[in-house]
Amino acid sequence: MDAPLKELAKLQKLAGDSSSSKGKSPSINDSLDSLLQSLQEVKDRLQVGTATDETLTILSKTVESRKKEVDERQKEVYNALAKIGKALDKKFQTPLPTYAPLFQSESAHATLERTIALHFLRTGQSKTAETFIEESNVDIDADTRLKFKELHEIVTALKEQDIGPALEWAERNRTFLQKRSSPLEFLLHRSRYTRYLLSPPPDGGDCAAITYAKSYFPPFYSQHEPEIRRLMCCLLYLPVSRLQTSPYADLASPSMHLDLEPMFAKEYCASLGMSRQVPLRVVGDIGGGGALARIEKARSVMRERKSEWSHTEELPIEIPLPPENRYHSIFACPVSKEQSTDQNPPMLMGCGHVITKDSLQKLSKPGGRVKCPYCPVESQVGAALRVHF
Amino acid sequence: MSTGKLNTEGIMLFEQPFARVPYENYRKVFRTSQKSIEKELGSVQTAANDIAKRTKSADSDPEDAVKAVEGMITRVENLKRKLADLQSSAGTPTIDVMRERFKHLKNVEDMQTPNDPEFTRWADTRLDRWLVDWSLRNGKEKTAKMIADDRGVERLVDIDLFSDIRRIEDALKQRSCTEALAWCSENKSALRKAKNTLEFDLRLQEYIELARAGKNLEAIAYSKKHLLPWQETHLPQIRQAAALLCYPPTTTCTPYKRLYDTSRWDALIQSFRLAIYNLSTLPSEPLLHLAMYAGLASLKLPACYDQQTKNVDCPVCDPSLGKLAEEVPFSHHVNSTIVCRITGRIMDEDNMPMAFPTNGQVYSREALEDMAARNNGAVNDPQTGETCEFSALRRLFIS
Repeated sequence: MDAPLKELAKLQKLAGDSSSSKGKSPSINDSLDSLLQSLQEVKDRLQVGTATDETLTILSKTVESRKKEVDERQKEVYNALAKIGKALDKKFQTPLPTYAPLFQSESAHATLERTIALHFLRTGQSKTAETFIEESNVDIDADTRLKFKELHEIVTALKEQDIGPALEWAERNRTFLQKRSSPLEFLLHRSRYTRYLLSPPPDGGDCAAITYAKSYFPPFYSQHEPEIRRLMCCLLYLPVSRLQTSPYADLASPSMHLDLEPMFAKEYCASLGMSRQVPLRVVGDIGGGGALARIEKARSVMRERKSEWSHTEELPIEIPLPPENRYHSIFACPVSKEQSTDQNPPMLMGCGHVITKDSLQKLSKPGGRVKCPYCPVESQVGAALRVHF
Repeated sequence: MSTGKLNTEGIMLFEQPFARVPYENYRKVFRTSQKSIEKELGSVQTAANDIAKRTKSADSDPEDAVKAVEGMITRVENLKRKLADLQSSAGTPTIDVMRERFKHLKNVEDMQTPNDPEFTRWADTRLDRWLVDWSLRNGKEKTAKMIADDRGVERLVDIDLFSDIRRIEDALKQRSCTEALAWCSENKSALRKAKNTLEFDLRLQEYIELARAGKNLEAIAYSKKHLLPWQETHLPQIRQAAALLCYPPTTTCTPYKRLYDTSRWDALIQSFRLAIYNLSTLPSEPLLHLAMYAGLASLKLPACYDQQTKNVDCPVCDPSLGKLAEEVPFSHHVNSTIVCRITGRIMDEDNMPMAFPTNGQVYSREALEDMAARNNGAVNDPQTGETCEFSALRRLFIS
């Protein structure tokens, strides 16, 4: 965007006030002022009677030349503007694609409205959510709203280094967290412990930290023994200045507390059966981060070759996704290149290689034996194990 | 994208209207200033020539000349004031909007990876912008204003443009072409360039309304004045319009019944919308829809619709988004990707997939090792409850 910005700065200089504007021709304001002055002089002379025929002829010429100055200045501005336009043309060479209207059916529209309302609630924009719900008649039940409100309040508190509400929630949902073997509750305690450790007495200090550890760490000992040992041992390195250069420096760094927010949000959402990332953001980031550009490119290539998509049911190209956006396993058979299905599931051969059932059957030899296409091992077709990803 | 680098080109595909709208706005400001200058200075010039000529022909009265010069002074002063007002009320703010938007785009160009916290904030703002755009296009102005206000993105969204669109559309809904025609005359040259004939359609509609009201003479006069200028391109329609006067609004004769049809008004609203979107370089679909189309299609898999393989973290598995994703194609894959159902991580040589020996359920080595460490070396399949020793698990080779 450097080129458009540069051209914009030029335009601004031309269009600005008379004092700061620089151009080849004088600013419009100056030209008009000087025109006014000439007019005033002529008027004065007319009134005192010293005006001659020539005065007025000259005036007519003055008007003409001032007008020309103004026109020239306008032309400069126009050219500067046109340059911005050209810089933008150069920057944006592909126009946005035009699609047939999407999400038009009544049910799709209602679903989209609901998605957006939930998005506002989930991202803590509760006032916007209220306004939106009013304007669109989406019905979000009170319970869901309350849950989102709680989530937002707890996360805000965490941001302000208040782990109280989060800890209270974690205690209430201990069974759920244990089932997921989530360390959230312990990490919250750990965060509070290190805060005691790092703040000066009487509120903090080693004594306060030890008291805290005594009352809260024991239940977590079986699960987090090594970490608790570290936490207790780091006491030996106090004061803080020494701790920061010790093997326990990580415990003194403020970044230790930063993970708590996303971790809490993840567990909270999981407890409600919701995704860990904000779904609309994920979809928008993928779509707006190159996927649309790739789809469009493929479409234009196919148009050039005059072949339509063989089936509109599937994209013609693979859109690369970052690992955190891979949510499902995909098994493409290395022999047939086909994706596995329920009818053609992936099969594990004796050697550990996996191919689909159809390929396995095609490769089988008399006697029910099959030689793996990737290694020398032969195994029984019947012994192959159907695997589930 | 998969390599962790930001796909700037893909991001910029969406941003053309964002940069163009204020640019077009400034062009409009410039045109207004040009018109005032031409008008005022033109008449000052005429007046100056006039009195110069008159003094020469010696039929001049000094008092008249003073009056004429005074008139010129007023005109120039007026022009000066008008230009200053225009610059401060529209020119400078529009330039500010342009600069802020160009800088906003420059910021994202300078970012390297999608993991940059700066980018996270940028993408948050982008979603806010898309939601404002969507709300404005769907008549939810209050929401749009609320987002703009709450998130501080007023300069990054086009609320004014859309409230203008809404005002004109509302007028059309009330069966009045006046506002839309005013817009057409403001944008005459741009419309002509785009070969857009919205103006003719609006004129024709006004003519039809005269015919409907039985004001035949007025209709003929109207046609002479407003339809005939289009005769080079629209002669058949003008002829048909003339014949319309022979048919009452209750006619059953199809071509004329169609002209009298009130659904023409809805079509006019549609054409107006397309015309103004086109001139402002806005896409006909909300940006949010385009992003969602591509995003959902990139993620959509048959597994998203199978109760057995749903993953709460997957956006398409969400019931609402899954419903919307019905309108987009499935994603396409040529390579295997095996995702651990316990950790959510992708398995590879460093984190091999391992299968339970009898039921074939596969998880990552990482997850199973962790489970074994907490369980005295035994592992337990969360799907079926099958238990075995870690050493009994089978390793998988996926190529």
